[in-house]
Amino acid sequence: MWAEDSETKILYVQTHGVTDPGRSATPFFLAASAAAMEFEVMIYFTMYGPSLLRRDVVDKIGPKGDQGQPLRYFIEQATGLGVRLLVCQPSLDLNDLVIEDLIDGVEVIGGAAFNDLAASADAVISF
Amino acid sequence: MPESTTPAADQVLDCIGLACPLPVVKTAQAVKSLASGQVLELLATDAGVEPDMRAWSSRTGNDLLSVTKQGDVFHILIRVK
Repeated sequence: MWAEDSETKILYVQTHGVTDPGRSATPFFLAASAAAMEFEVMIYFTMYGPSLLRRDVVDKIGPKGDQGQPLRYFIEQATGLGVRLLVCQPSLDLNDLVIEDLIDGVEVIGGAAFNDLAASADAVISF
Repeated sequence: MPESTTPAADQVLDCIGLACPLPVVKTAQAVKSLASGQVLELLATDAGVEPDMRAWSSRTGNDLLSVTKQGDVFHILIRVK
């Protein structure tokens, strides 16, 4: 799934969800910085992570609650630079979600694809 | 006549008051609109902007010409690769 010509590849893993807004935005910050450095970047949302991508949530929560920008702003900063967002089916099930509940552009992968991405990344950073 | 060490900027990018990662993100976007050899001047107040822009420059191959601080504002000159 990585482009073959990308020199540096970073895979972020987000396990926290809507119940912990303070942990919601940093993976997007770091991913946007990495993409700005011309790295190839993906964020894999597992465990409670997929709940952050709900289309009915991204405008309502942010890292500082009602202050500051909503999560959608940080997500679009990252995706606008080419960061790809990934989820897996069991994590959707865990959060009682279907892919249509999430914002557009999220890709569904499985455990094998995740492990392949991780094994071929230059860094895997988990939150 | 001595050669100037601080070339005039072709574009100024004002990131004063913006926090990480915005100065890096906006710089990356701004250089795409400039031609090779042109100079971008980034103005920023984020305390971590100097190491950030050094890392960004070395990774992307753009040339960080100078970093100066006037008051709270960092002035960072970058020549586009």
